[in-house]
Amino acid sequence: MTTAERARHLLAAALEIDPALVGPDAAIGTLEAWDSLAHLRLMQAIEQAIGAELPAESIVEIASLADVAAVLERKGG
Amino acid sequence: VSANWKPGEPVVLDTAHYLVRSMKPEDVTEDYLAWTKDEEIMYGVNSAPGRMTMADLHRYVAKFNNRTSFHLGIFVKETGRLIGFYSIYWERRHNIAGTNVVVGDRAYWGKNVVLETRAAIIDFLFDRLKVAKVWGSPMARNIPSVFNYRAQGFKAEGVLKRHRVSPKGERLDQIMFGLFPEDWRKAKEAKRR
Repeated sequence: MTTAERARHLLAAALEIDPALVGPDAAIGTLEAWDSLAHLRLMQAIEQAIGAELPAESIVEIASLADVAAVLERKGG
Repeated sequence: VSANWKPGEPVVLDTAHYLVRSMKPEDVTEDYLAWTKDEEIMYGVNSAPGRMTMADLHRYVAKFNNRTSFHLGIFVKETGRLIGFYSIYWERRHNIAGTNVVVGDRAYWGKNVVLETRAAIIDFLFDRLKVAKVWGSPMARNIPSVFNYRAQGFKAEGVLKRHRVSPKGERLDQIMFGLFPEDWRKAKEAKRR
């Protein structure tokens, strides 16, 4: 699975929706299921995937599927 | 907000599901008092559970003047139930306003209460008070709060490293978020699309 696919599955799981519903442009504000609690689940899932706590700069940065993929790529998740 | 609101008068903001209005001491409920003693809820605002009494809370609520400081309750329209509150401070010299929010009723967590209610507050701040900037500074690990700022178009202006001490004694990073009127217009336009 590529990093982009992993990011999509991880985001879908956090949002508790079908991965097929997560398009390449998915971002905060584009998916109704992406609310504050889903965002909390997403951060926890990313931290689990990379095996480390996210720094504040990354927490602030993540607002789209592309951002999730970028963090996974950078942190080796 | 009432079209003829004047400084010093109670603020009343009407959203789809909530009435956000200036609190009076008699609006303080046992629930509100319980929130101030709840570790998890207070952690969200990086405070230790307090020892306040009802009388303390009455005095606290009464000190907001509805001119430069506002203590707005979030009331569910359908039931009239108080589920949380905002404290808002307008620094006149710099013409910026900061907002702090507590949604105390756990049944309303994850229901976009902040997005809905703070939108009305931001409109009030920009349109009525004509503030130049709205800002907020959550702890970085307060993920739902960070989400809410991002979702409303606030931009992260910086991370203050190990800037605060948690009730447990850990040093915490804090994020500075800012929102300018043009950012707010863009965020609202994006939401309409």
